[in-house]
Amino acid sequence: MVTLEKNIKGIKDVLTSQDILVFEFQSSEGKRFAAIYADGIADKQLLGELVVKPLREVKKDAKLDEVKMLLASPEVKDCKKIKDGIAEVSDGNAVLFVDGEKDFFIIGLKNPPGRSVAEPPTQITLKGPREGFTEDIKVNLGLVRKRLKSDKLHIKMLKSGQRSDTAVAMIYLDDVVQKDLPEDVEKRILNNEIDLIPDSSYIAQFISKKPKSLFKRNGTSEKPDIFCAKICEGRVGLIVDGSPIALTVPYILTEDLQAAEDYYAVSYRSTIIRILRVLSLVVGMFLPAMYISAQLFKIQLIPFQLLLKISSSISSLPLSPSVEMFLTLFVLEVLNEASIRMPKYVGLALSVVGALVLGDTAVKAGIISTPAIIIIAFSAICLYTTPDLVETTATLRWILLIVSGSIGPFGIVLFTAFIICYLVTEQSYGAPLLAPFAPVVKSDLYDSMVKANMNKLNDRPRSYVTRDKVRFKAK
Amino acid sequence: MKICTRQICFIMLAYTVVSKILVYPTLLSSLCGRDLWFPALISFAVQAMVVWAVSYLCSRTDKTLFQLIEGTLGNICARIIYGLFGLFFILGTLMPLSEQKLYVHAIFYDTVPSLLVFLPFFFFSVYAASKKLTNIGRSADICLPIFVLSLVFIFIMSLMEVHWDNFLPALKTPVKTLFGSSLATTYLFFEPCWLLMFMGHFKYKKWDAAKITASYIGGGLIVLFFLFVFYGIYGEIAVSRQFAVSKISLFFPAIDMLGRIDLVALYILEIAMLFALVLNIQLAVHCFVKCTGWENRNALSVIVNGLLLAFIIIFDNKYNDLSIVFGKWMWIVFLLFATVIPLLGWTMKRRAK
Repeated sequence: MVTLEKNIKGIKDVLTSQDILVFEFQSSEGKRFAAIYADGIADKQLLGELVVKPLREVKKDAKLDEVKMLLASPEVKDCKKIKDGIAEVSDGNAVLFVDGEKDFFIIGLKNPPGRSVAEPPTQITLKGPREGFTEDIKVNLGLVRKRLKSDKLHIKMLKSGQRSDTAVAMIYLDDVVQKDLPEDVEKRILNNEIDLIPDSSYIAQFISKKPKSLFKRNGTSEKPDIFCAKICEGRVGLIVDGSPIALTVPYILTEDLQAAEDYYAVSYRSTIIRILRVLSLVVGMFLPAMYISAQLFKIQLIPFQLLLKISSSISSLPLSPSVEMFLTLFVLEVLNEASIRMPKYVGLALSVVGALVLGDTAVKAGIISTPAIIIIAFSAICLYTTPDLVETTATLRWILLIVSGSIGPFGIVLFTAFIICYLVTEQSYGAPLLAPFAPVVKSDLYDSMVKANMNKLNDRPRSYVTRDKVRFKAK
Repeated sequence: MKICTRQICFIMLAYTVVSKILVYPTLLSSLCGRDLWFPALISFAVQAMVVWAVSYLCSRTDKTLFQLIEGTLGNICARIIYGLFGLFFILGTLMPLSEQKLYVHAIFYDTVPSLLVFLPFFFFSVYAASKKLTNIGRSADICLPIFVLSLVFIFIMSLMEVHWDNFLPALKTPVKTLFGSSLATTYLFFEPCWLLMFMGHFKYKKWDAAKITASYIGGGLIVLFFLFVFYGIYGEIAVSRQFAVSKISLFFPAIDMLGRIDLVALYILEIAMLFALVLNIQLAVHCFVKCTGWENRNALSVIVNGLLLAFIIIFDNKYNDLSIVFGKWMWIVFLLFATVIPLLGWTMKRRAK
């Protein structure tokens, strides 16, 4: 006969930390039990309500099945191996040993600390749902289930991270997704061995076929409505425990030009906004570089009256146009970085120092010209119209600055051609990154730069393979 | 399949135009004056027929040119002919490359820049030429809207200044000069060779020959229209106006107020020009891959671009001499490769579809 003490020792020998608690109790007739759980991530109140309280009634000679029948918890699992019990305790669940029994139960009591569902700060909308993913995978899966009640919705739980044992949920619609895609994604996740998965961006690198590329190969979303829409378009979604950012593949670049609100507003307005977004993106990336090129190599690019204004403001500057622009962009990037990292109240002071002291004084001191500040500020604002692409576009802006300062406008054109040449052959799980523009996919053009009315969006995207092509039929 | 008919049509339309709006109009106006459109019409008519012949040949076989020659004349012959085509594409790149260098110097810089500013082009060229035919097709998908938008913008800024009476009286130039001018500018026409290289790399569907030929004719008509606009604006002084595309919009009234906004369109159009220029180099690399059987495209691209770089450095400031040599002597080579050999494709053993 296996004693309770022996079972407890089996776990405590491995989990030696002091936050692993053992709660021993007995029924009114003297049957002994022990619950082991990790303090802080298991719900103690539920343990009392759903486990300890019902087991008061257990008879002295009750078998394991009878004990199980009395447990009020909806999540009870039989377990034989101590190793599995250890993993479950680490994950936040409780192990329940019964005196005299070798087998034991796993009780689902996982309740790690976390924030409640709220509007995500990176994807705020005026119209449409405001719920956002949290760091808790269970909550996130609930938010997805709430929207997709289809029996074809498959959720496959994977584990990644040798030490963190992080749960990764792979979500797809079985009758829509490309046949081998889920297996391919799963293989890529499981093929990587790493200690810890602190965020979904780690998984993003695992599933990317070119992780060193400047251009990402997966879509990201913090909003369940967007995530579910992407799943319905035949993509595979990944939710990683501990991260509020969900991933989707295949990915095409135009995804990042689309905002949730585009689908909730009038299509004409959405089209205008999307064109505006693309223009902002282009202006944000190219404006500082073109300004330098115009000053250094091709002054005709600047209208004469504007040229007079600029020349009066830069006439006494000690720096060359490219150095001046570099300096201004450097200050902007530093302010940007500091404002994110600094505590909220210090950040307020920082914006005063940044905007007034640095900006105004630098202009008055004749170190930086006003046009340079205006251009960099406008460029920064423009890039944030497509926040998901900022990492890429802000890097490209630096490269363009270097190119324009050294080669001039021809360098800018050449670099653009180079980027186009690179992007046209790049793919994400069979989806060309520049689709539906290169190659042209006519039906997908209705949801690219243009946002057509819902009646036009009958088909799922054809830029990549899906099994069920039709998503909308008007009756 | 690596490329589709639509992409070939885009290439035939956009790349045909962008490769003929820099020096071609000035050259023709110096040779034929107000009748510059006529030699262009002859050239395009002849080339359109060859394009149609080649595209119709595509409907009669699913083989690539290499397989066609290999099936008829043997593997060695196919390799030799592909090698010769590779050299032809390099030869065909020399003049456009020199034109492009001068154009870049003139349009992108206020001062006379050194040769160095053009040399980064070869980084791009090495990279692009190492890519396969898929890249050519998809680049064309991007280039067509770029081309259309920028050219329409330039035309809008130019049309108001066209004096149509500059073309009167028409056709007073001797016939010999008109046909001679057409021959002298043959070195700018190699579209049938592009199509020849795409043969067997796209799935032929009904009416594709008509679509491809129509695209080429469309491109030819745009060039003819461009010639009318250019000569219509400048008349007899057109001969001194190099890089026509950058000159036709100069008199747009808003330029005084807004600055050279036409330059923005020209810079965007330059992207299409670069891809058109690189197409020949890409096809040269493609030919050498087939010729040598060496699949290392990167190395071949470096070699081909190295040759072109050496040419640009050696013949820097020798554009006029080169122009004379190509105009007087090279037309035979271009006529052979861009007109005769494509037609000879019909004599090869082709398996019926």
